[in-house]
Amino acid sequence: MEHHDHETQSPDKKTSIKSTKKFWRSPQERENDPEWQKLVEREFQASPFFEGDVKESWNRRDFMKLMGASLALGSTACIRRPVQTIIPYVNRPVEVTPGIANYYASTWSEGTEGFGLLVKTREGRPIKLEGNPDHPVNAGALSARAQAQVLNLYDPERLDGPRKYNPEDPNPFRHEQHPSWAQADQEILPKLKEGGVALLTNSISSPSTKAVIGDFATVTGATHYVWDPIGYDDVASAQKAAYGTAVVPRYVLDRAKIIVSIDADFLGSFLSPTEFNRQYAAVRKPGKDMAKIVTFESVYTLTGANSDARVRIKPSQQLDVVMGLVHQISVLSGKGGGAPAYANAAQKLNIEPGLFNEIAKDLWENRGRGVVIAGGLTTRTEQGEAVHAAVNFLNSLLGNDGVSVDHGTAAFKFINGSHANLATLIEKMQAGQVKTLIIHGVNPVYQAAGGSGFEEALKKVALVLYTGDRADETGKFAKFILPDHHHLENWGDSEIQENVFSIQQPTIRPLYNTRAFQDTLLVWTAGYKGKGEKPLTWFNYLKDNWKKNRFHGAGGFDHAWVQLLKLGVLDLSSQAREKVSTPRNFSGAALKVPSPRASEGLELVLFESVLQGDGRSANNSWLQEMPDPVTKVSWGNPLLVSPGLAKKMELTNGSIVQVTVNKQSVKTPIFIQPGLHDEVVALAVGYGRTAAGEVGNGVGLNGFELASFNKGKPVFSGIQVQIENTGQFETVASMQEHTNIEGRQIVVEASLADYLKKPDAGIEKTEVFSIWNDHKYTGYRWGMAIDLNSCTGCSACIVACQAENNIPVVGKRYVIQGREMHWLRVDRYYSGDVNSPRGTFQPLPCQHCENAPCETVCPVAATNHSSEGLNDMVYNRCVGTRYCSNNCPYKVRRFNWFNYANKIPEPKNLQLNPDVTVRTRGVMEKCTFCIQRITTAKNDAKDRGDEVKDGEIKTACQQTCPTNAIMFGNINDAKSEVRQWQGDPRAFALLEELNVRPSVRYLTKVKNAKVEGTEGGHV
Amino acid sequence: MPGKTAKILLALVVLVLIGGVASMATGPIGYNDGYEPKQPIPFSHRLHAGDNKIPCLYCHVAAEKSIHATVPALNICMNCHKVVKTDSPWIKKLTAAYENNTVIEWKKVHMLPDFVRFNHRRHVRREVACQTCHGPVETMDVIHQEAPLSMGWCVNCHRKPENHAPINCSTCHY
Repeated sequence: MEHHDHETQSPDKKTSIKSTKKFWRSPQERENDPEWQKLVEREFQASPFFEGDVKESWNRRDFMKLMGASLALGSTACIRRPVQTIIPYVNRPVEVTPGIANYYASTWSEGTEGFGLLVKTREGRPIKLEGNPDHPVNAGALSARAQAQVLNLYDPERLDGPRKYNPEDPNPFRHEQHPSWAQADQEILPKLKEGGVALLTNSISSPSTKAVIGDFATVTGATHYVWDPIGYDDVASAQKAAYGTAVVPRYVLDRAKIIVSIDADFLGSFLSPTEFNRQYAAVRKPGKDMAKIVTFESVYTLTGANSDARVRIKPSQQLDVVMGLVHQISVLSGKGGGAPAYANAAQKLNIEPGLFNEIAKDLWENRGRGVVIAGGLTTRTEQGEAVHAAVNFLNSLLGNDGVSVDHGTAAFKFINGSHANLATLIEKMQAGQVKTLIIHGVNPVYQAAGGSGFEEALKKVALVLYTGDRADETGKFAKFILPDHHHLENWGDSEIQENVFSIQQPTIRPLYNTRAFQDTLLVWTAGYKGKGEKPLTWFNYLKDNWKKNRFHGAGGFDHAWVQLLKLGVLDLSSQAREKVSTPRNFSGAALKVPSPRASEGLELVLFESVLQGDGRSANNSWLQEMPDPVTKVSWGNPLLVSPGLAKKMELTNGSIVQVTVNKQSVKTPIFIQPGLHDEVVALAVGYGRTAAGEVGNGVGLNGFELASFNKGKPVFSGIQVQIENTGQFETVASMQEHTNIEGRQIVVEASLADYLKKPDAGIEKTEVFSIWNDHKYTGYRWGMAIDLNSCTGCSACIVACQAENNIPVVGKRYVIQGREMHWLRVDRYYSGDVNSPRGTFQPLPCQHCENAPCETVCPVAATNHSSEGLNDMVYNRCVGTRYCSNNCPYKVRRFNWFNYANKIPEPKNLQLNPDVTVRTRGVMEKCTFCIQRITTAKNDAKDRGDEVKDGEIKTACQQTCPTNAIMFGNINDAKSEVRQWQGDPRAFALLEELNVRPSVRYLTKVKNAKVEGTEGGHV
Repeated sequence: MPGKTAKILLALVVLVLIGGVASMATGPIGYNDGYEPKQPIPFSHRLHAGDNKIPCLYCHVAAEKSIHATVPALNICMNCHKVVKTDSPWIKKLTAAYENNTVIEWKKVHMLPDFVRFNHRRHVRREVACQTCHGPVETMDVIHQEAPLSMGWCVNCHRKPENHAPINCSTCHY
């Protein structure tokens, strides 16, 4: 077998692995950079920091002395175990049996994406979130952000009750007071009566909350301003201009055979990514009917990575793309003269005219069965309005309106926030017309774009009330912070898409003395009226609202209410979402397209990252440690530059540059991201917080400040920028070069054409023979299959695994050293055009090998093969030699270098899953195929008296996957789905040539495009 | 060899021999068989389970439903003791706790290390009698740990082919 000999390796020696690779994880790997070679050789890296950096270092001699003394003392100490107490309930609630989890249906929406939840609780506290399979929007899946929300509940930095500050004092916290709710209300009510009350919130999906706000506004005369930091008002206003009503449409991707995205990251962050992921998977099954996805984008996103054709553009070229397509399609349709000014769009964009015409032709031939989408921060350029108008025109011209652009049956009607509203509010604040401002659900001091003037205007408001859970950037300016419950502690409801209602119920008694925002408003409404009437509690108000408005039918309200709490969802749309609606008339006046202009100079794009969003969960350590699905960078948002630009300016990963926008300069490290245009630099928003908490403070750079508010027409993209290499350096915590696997065939891509000819196209089969006898499995044999074609890289599985298995967070410093603890990782491989590569994502759990190389080398037999095909990890036997990890070819084993569990602050320990051991220092850990779930299911099956049914066990990663890319089950069962997947001609085993016999199979990725060298490609 | 070295060696050998004999005599360290902690209320299993023949699962409700057997909640005790022997000072203490909503802190007798996951429900449903592992509880006035509860002791039963019990590491350690 060809062998890559490390010892004699030198950069100029010819190696057996080709230097131009077919799949590569970073530009350095592609060019066989010697630094990269060094990283590949060493699994356990030395600290990149010098001695002096380490503050808590032990002097070696002292350490040895202390250890020696402790050993001596310990051996003479008492050997009785410490006394433990058992504290039973006084009155055990009937539904709680210690040791058995209870699931409650609930709902959650962050800004604009909403989910139906099933909250897993143990002994009265939520420990894991899962999707509600009955909710039509997310259908049982959760995104990475949603999975991480359970940790926010236990954030130790949440305020434990109302606070009162003196914002005029330069140190507003100096005389911090802890009033009771009654005291706070007593002080606030007279101020409300003085009038000039304004309420600023995000788009509210809860109809009952909207009713409460409505009552409050009617009684107090307050004005309600709705603003979303990352909103879709540009989409809504373009819809209004074109069709008459401002609505954010629901894009139904599974009705499309061709999807063209113009800077809309629908798989990553745009609008409703979890739903889009599911629809994507539905239309991407390899076959003649496979949909085609084309992306024109200025950032490298998940959508671009998973597209069949991806073109890198500058934000100022978005209009050229759309108008170019408009022109081509007008020509093809024979209707009208098109837009001759944009006839040469392809040349201008540096695309082969052939490709561009092909896309136009595909769109035209699939009219009524395609969709063009644009949206997100990346389309908020100065010409954004024209771009959206043109996209609407295209969709109408192609007959997509009403089919894949759903405007009426289940659109996102609740999204009604706009920057114009915020601009109006700021104006009123500046003019002194706002005496009391209540801020809920948004953090405008941090999230409003640069130059909005919100902070200055805020100082002119006499009374600022904030319902956030801590004194964050906006909280610092508040006189009173009136912390709202966490959504897991509160009642509520939701109408994420029209006529699809879901209920939110508390799953834990509020941990602190917080009060529901709705209760606060209800108390103030009643108090304002001054008639001494007792306000309804929010719970009763909610029930009444449902009684009045939803449950008209027979059967009695109480029964219906209980059913609603059980199921969590009430779909009153009568399957409307399955129907198409009539297309609307496009108002020609909307299409006022400026003439094409040249795009000169470097442009900055601010984009919404998959994990952080608008930055509200910056203090969530899981989200910070998660590698960004595309860049694989954690704990920060470096400025992304293209390899070409980096070479030109002599930048490497971590070079600090000075970024100047509008005479404002900031410094930030860079990261090289293939796929960017050479005149584009990109920065994610949601970082750079200053008052989020210990975890989130100071991580990254605040991108919101680089945007310009422009009096309510913000510009987030296509911003003129200059960058300068400062010559300084800051290590970027990038995970993409950790855990490098070397081998012949790691990911396999095939073109659709090749797949149709031969289903196993692209797979190089290796003949292996074994000197070992096979294990015999008479009962269950657990195995897994992962469909690379469905996996979009969203990384929800990683957070789900972290939540389920008590995986610790190590922090930036140790991530840099390669010590991240994620049991499951998603490797991202680029392929194709170096300037605009495709991306293939490969989730890598422990492969539970039959001939596991880790099992044979453990000196203490801490890892053994079970009788059901699993590779067991026994933490109590492990002594930490790390030989197993050394031997693992997939590098899926993680070592506990420190006692991470000791660092878990209360009450975060309440989130820990009691079914999974919390590991201490010095033991190895790895993916267990969720053995705790397997054991529970086997026990349930034994109690029933039969076998575990197929699909009864879902590993945490499988359960949350929006595209159902992961399939787990019993491969000894001939009828199980995992057996079908493993038997699929597209299935291959990773690193098959090593004869480790993994229990996991991967299914090749099929691209609806030409893929060079499909046959027998080497990595 | 010189006399002094020989004497030291002899002393060492004697120490090792004594140590060895001593450890064999006292049995392996770390097992708690015989542990009989004093409980906050001197609940007598001999009276309740023995004389009154109350079934184990009447109080230890979760033993056949969950991994934990659970010590009964106070409301189970009060089922009878609302009327039974209410003049006893201990029952008065129990009732006071129930009425004031304060807990009784029992001392755990059968302690397994944290890395062992024992599943009561599985064993109860396999009709392993409680006394098999807990000893003759119905004769105990004060509960003590009868069996060593060591891994070897568990495996000895699991190993017997007629018991059809799994012996994977991950059966108990995961």
